[in-house]
Amino acid sequence: MLNNVGWSLAVEKLLQIEVPERCQYYRVILGELSRIADHFTCNGASAMELGAFTPFLWLLKVRDWVWDILERETGARMTHSFGRIGGMAAPPTASFKDDVRQLIPEVHKVVKETEIMLLRNRIFLDRMQGVGVLTKEQALSYGVTGPVARSTGIPYDVRKDHPYMVYDRFDFDVPIGEDGDNWDRFMVRLEEIRQSVRIIEQAIEQMPDDGPINVDDPRIVYPDKDEVYTTIEATIAHFKLVMEGLRTPKGEVYSFTEGGNGELGFHIVSDGSGTPYRVRVRPPCWYNLAASREMLLGGMIADIIPTFGSVNMIGGECDR
Amino acid sequence: MPKFTLDGREISFDPGETVMEAAWREGIEIPHYCWHPGLSVAANCRMCLVHVESGRQMEMPQLAFDEKKGEYVPTTKPKLQPACQLAAAEDIVVSSTNDEVKTAQASVQEFLLLNHPVDCPICDQAGECKLQDYYYEHQATLKRKLTEPVHKPKGVRFGPTIIYDAERCIMCTRCIRVCDEVAKDHVLDMRERGNKNEIVLAPGRELDHRYTLMTEHVCPVGALTSQDFRFKARVWFLKSGQGVCTGCATGCNTHVDYDPRYGKVYRLRPRDNADVNKYWMCDDGMMTYTRHDTDRLLMPTTGRGDERMPVGEDEALDLAAEKLKAVDASKLAVVLSAQHTTEDNLALAKLAAALGADQLYLAALGGWEGDDILRSDDNNPNRAGATQAAGGVTLKSVDDLLADAQSGAVQGVVALGWASAEQLEELAPLTALDGVVSLTSHVGAFPAVASVAIPVADIFEIDGSFVNDKSMPQAFRPVLAPPTGVDPAWKTISALAGKLGKDLGFQDLQSLRQGLSDAVEAAQ
Ligand code: SF4
Ligand code: SF4
Ligand code: FES
Repeated sequence: MLNNVGWSLAVEKLLQIEVPERCQYYRVILGELSRIADHFTCNGASAMELGAFTPFLWLLKVRDWVWDILERETGARMTHSFGRIGGMAAPPTASFKDDVRQLIPEVHKVVKETEIMLLRNRIFLDRMQGVGVLTKEQALSYGVTGPVARSTGIPYDVRKDHPYMVYDRFDFDVPIGEDGDNWDRFMVRLEEIRQSVRIIEQAIEQMPDDGPINVDDPRIVYPDKDEVYTTIEATIAHFKLVMEGLRTPKGEVYSFTEGGNGELGFHIVSDGSGTPYRVRVRPPCWYNLAASREMLLGGMIADIIPTFGSVNMIGGECDR
Repeated sequence: MPKFTLDGREISFDPGETVMEAAWREGIEIPHYCWHPGLSVAANCRMCLVHVESGRQMEMPQLAFDEKKGEYVPTTKPKLQPACQLAAAEDIVVSSTNDEVKTAQASVQEFLLLNHPVDCPICDQAGECKLQDYYYEHQATLKRKLTEPVHKPKGVRFGPTIIYDAERCIMCTRCIRVCDEVAKDHVLDMRERGNKNEIVLAPGRELDHRYTLMTEHVCPVGALTSQDFRFKARVWFLKSGQGVCTGCATGCNTHVDYDPRYGKVYRLRPRDNADVNKYWMCDDGMMTYTRHDTDRLLMPTTGRGDERMPVGEDEALDLAAEKLKAVDASKLAVVLSAQHTTEDNLALAKLAAALGADQLYLAALGGWEGDDILRSDDNNPNRAGATQAAGGVTLKSVDDLLADAQSGAVQGVVALGWASAEQLEELAPLTALDGVVSLTSHVGAFPAVASVAIPVADIFEIDGSFVNDKSMPQAFRPVLAPPTGVDPAWKTISALAGKLGKDLGFQDLQSLRQGLSDAVEAAQ
């Protein structure tokens, strides 16, 4: 979902359009829900890889709850194709806000339980603390972003430093670590879950209950199917969008957002036609994975397991 | 040259030109439907409205909604003018993009679509339709009209080549004007007015002159479709190559539209060339593409009548060489082809020279009527080129060839091209000769009487040039690959020369063309 929105924002920047406010809140909430799911999964898996199977299952149930909501909204649990240039594929369902409101206390509860289960566990502490250290300098020189960078003490968060959509309207903190070890990465993610919940709480209150989700321009957003089948205007708009693609002005943009693992950037070069002349993705994990060399050197083979887990590499982002 | 300004850009013009023409020449397209560079000005679609911002402003009364009063009040707005009819004048400042103009463009476009059927998915024009393009560029709003659109006749047969759909028609009258002004036949006209408007045939007539496909060609929308192309292909799958029509010696320039997935040509379209065909082509020329995949010779054959059988490529060349060697050079007839490129003919002429054969003939098609519009009296695209290739000597005709064969002056033949099917009867006496070699892309009279027939590439498959009846050399490029094992004729001829122990002195088109006059080279 964070990728969906990141890409849409990039093309929208090229088109110099902004989606309606309601959509921006919707995107923020869905995005932060995804972040919560990501961080729970990463932290749960880190624990499991160190032998703690219960926390894994315990944390992953939150992901299922989040995915229940995403499924109701988007139709898919994981591989969402819901973002649209100029809006979203569908408006929020009627129960969206209530579903999210009900989820919030549960998330808090599981975060608390995670702390109880793991933070005083000797084995867990020994494997995490002081292991897989990345210094601030190393992080900067590798272009590391996201929780991995923040764990070294770099307070860089795109949502705070270069606010996009409506992020500047929310009150939230950017947690940072000091040592850049596995422990700090774990703790940063745990705290970020709380901050995401804070953002969601505020967004739910501020998000308008009605109003358009998509920009009102049939050159950008598909007209309704009903209209496509019954009016020539919508048929033509649909035809043009499908056959020739969405035409963007000539130019070049770099647009970036805070993904689950850091700065997710899209560089698009447009020649004015319906297909991009060039697209280059800056996936956070590509840089984070490169830096894992520094975390692993000089450690023990067995340390690869927690360290690699806390880098939270997404294979698809490194396949290039 | 005097100048005016269009959207901030200086445009020079010849006195008498319209704003539209001057802009068009500079490569700027002011949105338009009814204007066509090759037709008279009708100024009926109003899509080309522009605002002359300089000089005394003409105002037009209108009612506008006044928010404060809550009612419509009379005001004025600038009067816009059709660029297609507006004479360019020194120093005027014209805008085709200001807000007034944009509103006008969007409104005209909205009006045109008001009663338009939802046909794009089944419309042959989709993908190259002005309504679609301008909707996207200049309207981009959804339908506001809630009532049922006006219905009109669909699928009306205008003649053997053209089908008319009145619902899709935007009444630009281009089709009427192309009949009047190009074909000089007033067979189409318009009846009724407003949304009852319809294009109709003259009473008792069909659309059956020689330029009917040009009506479809100028129709900016899908109202006229060609019987031939209808429902055959979707234009977005087609690629386009540059060709020259093989229909007659005028040599109209063409776009050859083909589907690269199937290696199939679907249609020709005129390619603008002010010196040759302007914007037009005749129906027969437009249909020459169908020759390409009808009656092709795909495999070399040997033997005649019942004994004819396919042979391998190399074997065929060996056989041909063997048969030609048996003929005394002075009794060998070399037949050039007015249907083949200058290059192919040149290669054959070189072979003749190398062998010392000096009896040169020219095979050409007949059975055709010219006119004083486009069609030449000669329906062979390259008589002039073949003659040039032969070094300017007068070439004897196929009739002469028969006479010479009967008198015994000719005892062997090597012929390029298929000649026409009607000539089959006449050529029958050639079956008495053992050495008749035909190099041909299609089945026809020559391959039918030949003892060895070798396939060569067709016009869509080769690089080459024609010289038209105004002595203009015109080059074209291949759009398709020849069938497996089939080469351009000049290559096959060079291979045959090799088998005969002769070197024709060229390795590729480049070195072959060096033998051509400078004029032909200049066209490459
Ligand atoms: S004429 Fe154009 S707009 Fe009308 S149906 Fe055909 S493609 Fe569509
Ligand atoms: S049939 Fe085509 S060319 Fe003729 S008036 Fe209608 S839209 Fe114009
Ligand atoms: S193009 Fe000028 S009025 Fe139609």
